[in-house]
Amino acid sequence: MRSLLLAVLAAYLIAAIHSILAFINKRRSVQRVAEWSTITGFILHTAALGADWVIDGHYPLFSLREALSFLAWALVPVYAAVLYRYRAQAVGAFTMPLISVLTFISLLITPGPTDAPASFSATRLFPIHTTLVIFAYAAFFIVFMASVMYLLQERELKLKTFGAIFHRLPALTTINEIATNAAVVGLTLLTLGIATGMFWSWNRYGRIWHNDPKEIFAVLTWLLYLVLIVYRSSASWRGRRAAWLGVVGFALVLCTLFGTRYLGGYHVFG
Amino acid sequence: MSIILVGVNHKTAPVEIRERLAFNDEACADGLRRLVDGEVVREGLIVSTCNRVEILTATTAEQLESSAGRLAQFLDTAGQLPAGFLSSYLYSHTDEEAVRHLFRVASSLDSMVVGEPQVLGQVRRAYSVAVEAGTAGRVLNRLVHHTFRVAKRVRNETGIAANAVSISYMAVELGKKIFDSLKGCTVLLIGAGEMAELSARHLVNAGASRVMIVNRTEETARQIADEFGATTVPFERLDQALSEADVVICSTGAPSYVLTETQARRALARKRNRPTCMIDISVPRNIDPAVGKVPNVFLFDIDDLESVITSNIREREREAERAELIVQSEVMQFQQSLRLMDIGPTLGAMKEKFQEVARAEMARQRKRLGVLTQEQETAIEALLLSTVNKISHPILNQMRQFYESTESDALPTDKDIFKLEE
Repeated sequence: MRSLLLAVLAAYLIAAIHSILAFINKRRSVQRVAEWSTITGFILHTAALGADWVIDGHYPLFSLREALSFLAWALVPVYAAVLYRYRAQAVGAFTMPLISVLTFISLLITPGPTDAPASFSATRLFPIHTTLVIFAYAAFFIVFMASVMYLLQERELKLKTFGAIFHRLPALTTINEIATNAAVVGLTLLTLGIATGMFWSWNRYGRIWHNDPKEIFAVLTWLLYLVLIVYRSSASWRGRRAAWLGVVGFALVLCTLFGTRYLGGYHVFG
Repeated sequence: MSIILVGVNHKTAPVEIRERLAFNDEACADGLRRLVDGEVVREGLIVSTCNRVEILTATTAEQLESSAGRLAQFLDTAGQLPAGFLSSYLYSHTDEEAVRHLFRVASSLDSMVVGEPQVLGQVRRAYSVAVEAGTAGRVLNRLVHHTFRVAKRVRNETGIAANAVSISYMAVELGKKIFDSLKGCTVLLIGAGEMAELSARHLVNAGASRVMIVNRTEETARQIADEFGATTVPFERLDQALSEADVVICSTGAPSYVLTETQARRALARKRNRPTCMIDISVPRNIDPAVGKVPNVFLFDIDDLESVITSNIREREREAERAELIVQSEVMQFQQSLRLMDIGPTLGAMKEKFQEVARAEMARQRKRLGVLTQEQETAIEALLLSTVNKISHPILNQMRQFYESTESDALPTDKDIFKLEE
């Protein structure tokens, strides 16, 4: 599978480089190269994940290596949706490098013994739980990225610097809409992800809450994005403050994803 | 055929010179008819705008020198200037350089404001005048149509005209950076200056659906309001109007601030912090600069607009470099098609000549053949002609390909022509 994943990485890298170039010189032909190599990478990646599933005999989302690879894979359709819906090509210059890095790191990690997951994959619910959560993370990354873009563009407009960023980033309301919609999608997926996790745990252990760091962080993340959405839609918290919340929220997501590995606890995987 | 372009533009000549030379459509047509004699100057076209007067002509390669002199002389006469007066202001380009120059002019790369859209229309107009005057022929027709194509390519493939470079259009430009689309936006004009009106007009064209005008004198406000289908709002209700507006353009003659920070904060609170773009084009300023600190208000004064324009011009210049590459490749393409045009008739004449030889030989030998049926006679002629054609075809074909593909003077060898190696 490694050689296939190397091809995936190559395609993503080409896409990342061309996305950045397209961001800088705004050439349509370069953007097209970026889009096609993203599609190629995604198809190969899907094939690699499928092959993993068949060969290892479990859903390819369990170890950290698999989680990173899966997250990279999940980011591609999420990014494609944003690109298709908003024509915001600047998004690619931010997303494709991250996708490449995630793929690269997952390639660096040597696969460990694969017998552990056998008991987990026995239920259908577990893969659904992890998949939902990974897609939620992907959506939250879009929120984060849009928030950063918002802060950059807002700063350009307020300080009236009108540099390269001003010409290349989308309009404030567009960025805002991307962030809001991605937050709604992310929160929905996370809610479902937490619910399925709890249900699975109930079936297996007879309890829904284990008090481990990952669960606590996940609930904190969930609360924060709920606050973000409620404030954005109902009250006066627009613009900068909402954008900062999107950035902070992503820090929490990162804690949930990686941090808890080092804090120990019951969520031993990914 | 050779192409010569002689003229002056804003870089080489001051306005005092350019205005003396300027042609209106009628003078253009007259001048062209005088200039184009079918001998020295075969075809002609005059582009006359406020920034340039240029004469583009086609002539034969041998008469290039005398033709250039004629054009300079023609301009001297047209401007009623002593002979040779213009020589220090004139530039003259021939062939490839002339083609490049025309492409650059029409693509607005040679304009005072790079990327301005008017010049292409002016070239179009100049061409139609030349067509009516009957002075646009084979070469110029081809050249001008190619020019239109180049200008279109430059416009579509580069961002040379993407960013606004005029104050009045700035409101649209900045609005688009905040709202993406101005469709459905509400515009509020405070004061009814000419610039504000022009800006509002651009905003409406860009999709703004509602315009409100606040002015101290109702009368002026109503006049402008009628033109836009806008509503007038009495000055006392400014705060109310402010909380409904997405774009505010302020240009009153007031000596002090018309809009204060407190007002802006109140308005924003009432419109639930939806972003607002405020543009203050009045001097002295009418919107308190402190308004710019209110979250979600984006305030721009006249200096800010100037700096966006400077930044946009820089952006355009960066795009212009890419446009130059397009022009370069198109010039090469055009030169090639022109060479082909030159060789076309020659090849046709050669073919005729070969066939003529065959017919003459046939006529000479006819008597020796005795009595032939009509059928036999046709067959012999066909035989001769097809032999001649079959022999000459690869030669002519090679010559055509040679002209299409290379500029070198080396002729193809006979081995190349008949593919004897195979």
